[in-house]
Amino acid sequence: MSFTFLFRTVTRDFAKISVCQHVQSLHTGCRLLAAEKALLMKLRKNTGYTFINCKKALEKFDNDIAQAETWLNEQAQKEGWSKANKLQGRSAKEGLVGLFIQDTAAVMVEVNCETDFVARNEKFQQLVKDVAFATLAHHRNKTQSKTGYVKSVLAGDELSKLGVEEGASLSDRVAVTIGRLGENMSVRRAVTVEVPAEWHIGSYVHGGVRGQTEVAMGRYGALVVFQAGEKGEWEVLGRKLGQHIVGEAPVSLGNMDDLPCGESETRLLPQTFLGDPSRTVAQFLRGQQARVLDFVRFQCGETASEEAK
Amino acid sequence: MAALVGLRACFSALQLSSPGLLHSSFKLSAVPLSRRTFAAEAKKTYSREKPHVNIGTIGHVDHGKTTLTAAITKVLSDAGGANFKKYEDIDNAPEEKARGITINASHVEYTTANRHYAHTDCPGHADYVKNMITGTSQMDGCILVVAATDGQMPQTREHLLLARQIGVDHVVVFINKADAVEDKEMVELVEIEIRELLTEFGYDGENTPVVVGSALCALENREPELGVNAVMNLLDVVDSYVPLPKRELEKPFLLPIEGVYSIPGRGTVVTGTMERGIIKKGDDCEFLGHNRSFKSVVTGIEMFHKSLDRAEAGDNLGALVRGLKREDIRRGMVMCKPGSIMPYQTIKAQVYVLSKEEGGRHKPFVTNFMPVMFSLTWDMACRVTLPDDKEMVMPGEDTSLTLTLRQPMVLEKGQRFTLRDGNKTIGTGLVTEILAAKDEDQSNWG
Repeated sequence: MSFTFLFRTVTRDFAKISVCQHVQSLHTGCRLLAAEKALLMKLRKNTGYTFINCKKALEKFDNDIAQAETWLNEQAQKEGWSKANKLQGRSAKEGLVGLFIQDTAAVMVEVNCETDFVARNEKFQQLVKDVAFATLAHHRNKTQSKTGYVKSVLAGDELSKLGVEEGASLSDRVAVTIGRLGENMSVRRAVTVEVPAEWHIGSYVHGGVRGQTEVAMGRYGALVVFQAGEKGEWEVLGRKLGQHIVGEAPVSLGNMDDLPCGESETRLLPQTFLGDPSRTVAQFLRGQQARVLDFVRFQCGETASEEAK
Repeated sequence: MAALVGLRACFSALQLSSPGLLHSSFKLSAVPLSRRTFAAEAKKTYSREKPHVNIGTIGHVDHGKTTLTAAITKVLSDAGGANFKKYEDIDNAPEEKARGITINASHVEYTTANRHYAHTDCPGHADYVKNMITGTSQMDGCILVVAATDGQMPQTREHLLLARQIGVDHVVVFINKADAVEDKEMVELVEIEIRELLTEFGYDGENTPVVVGSALCALENREPELGVNAVMNLLDVVDSYVPLPKRELEKPFLLPIEGVYSIPGRGTVVTGTMERGIIKKGDDCEFLGHNRSFKSVVTGIEMFHKSLDRAEAGDNLGALVRGLKREDIRRGMVMCKPGSIMPYQTIKAQVYVLSKEEGGRHKPFVTNFMPVMFSLTWDMACRVTLPDDKEMVMPGEDTSLTLTLRQPMVLEKGQRFTLRDGNKTIGTGLVTEILAAKDEDQSNWG
């Protein structure tokens, strides 16, 4: 019985191929044709959109793959928005902190999603990158004429309004990514820091994503603004300080002469230095002839869980 | 190409036609099961007559993992092998969310004709790795759910990668929502694509069983061909494709020593709980650990002051051994089948570091940190070396670590241990690899 079945299927398939080359117009699209199938596979491979949408697009534009692709992109935008509205309110506590430094300016952003599976996805990481660049561009526009130390903090709603190229806003980008990945996402916060030429910015990102070279990404991030230190060792010094800040989570800066008060010290300078437990941070900085002026620490999901409480 | 597709179609048609037969056999076996359920309504006792297997569902969000789980329980509850759990019951486990600690013990169980299953959902990558390390839940096999309307999507890949990482070797594919696509060839395209994906991740994509159906149809009792029968077929495939985990009894015996006593007139007795295997009177044994090694023979086994010929994994026993003095042996050593296990000094392990809320440290640690390692009945100081791409480890993370013990102790791949520092538990881990000892390790420790 199976043999006859096999035979029938095979002959039907052959017949289909021979028919579809000659009388393509007779078919009304209730069954896929072989040529169309290859196109469908190709479109799906190129775009990554769902099978059903790819098929719809091909039917709509009579197998014109270029038109189908543009239509799919438009459709993704629309679907993204409806999905985003539907998912609004689902808690998003996972995600990534993205950090980018260029010359004397640095930007650190946090973008949230629901599960860490999504945080590992390239599309999500691209979104983090977009947010970082958009924030930096916005910062550049605003502070062109100013000099000196500028630090600006942006909350989620302000960030959504920022534009990316071609008139789209960041919230559009978020919507598309939501449509693609199917989870609620939000651009949580961002901070930009710009320093005068003789100051330096140190940074450290923990729990990092490998393979992201431009914008460092991870679950924790820290920016440190410091002065002096030995020439050529700025980067190492900045990294060490950043690492300490991520690890020990200080809340305030404190003074150079503060006395440490035990394990639960929350001021940066009197804390025991992570890289050398025999000294405090202040003592370490004296040794390096450096001064820490300011710092920012982001931990992924920390504000989201505070809000939940 | 067309011939290939034809072959596939034929194959899947055959698969679809077979569950009818199976279904009836399920019903036959289900009669005594359901009767028992009625009798023990007040407090059910867990019966151990069928082998137990842990299974999970993985797949992209909205592809129907939870719907499938609900459908499985529904189909089997009709046959008496499960309690029907509604979608809502599975999707949010409120007690877990309230506690904020995701130890995702499986909360769905069901029984097929041959096996008892515990079913786990995949909460998150980090959560799952944590569960695996701490040993709260494991997967012997998993069902990859893909919607026929969508094909593979981003999280399908991520979940499959996770499955590969944590060593799930057996994946069964369920193509869901087949009722939502009117033409069968699209389902075939999805199938081809998913087989390619499986091969890409190092699975046997060509031979992985694929079942086409619709969990929603099964839940709503329509289109039995795609609904109930497909789910039954899926369970049957899982029954046959996912092998039973090797049982502790079949392995060479191991007894971690808890105490050593000298009985006047009889000799030396070691006590402990059998970790695995079976021992009999007269078996050869070997004592290892704390830089010592002796061979001997078990001359008697006692449990609750009664002597017995044979003891097996889980038994708490005392064993009389020939020709050894009490001072030769100490707590922390093991008694084992000669040559079955060895002491090692350096290992690679996957460790979950407890967060402050879970009772761990609030500070991170770096290379050369020295906690105490506890495993079996021994404890030993060890030194931590972080992998090259890591500079520190934060509480609440999982990480790979290289651990060097002060003295070689009995260790093997897959063994669990705990790291403690002072009065705090730092983390718990799983040995993933045994490394060759280096000379410098010896000299550093004195």
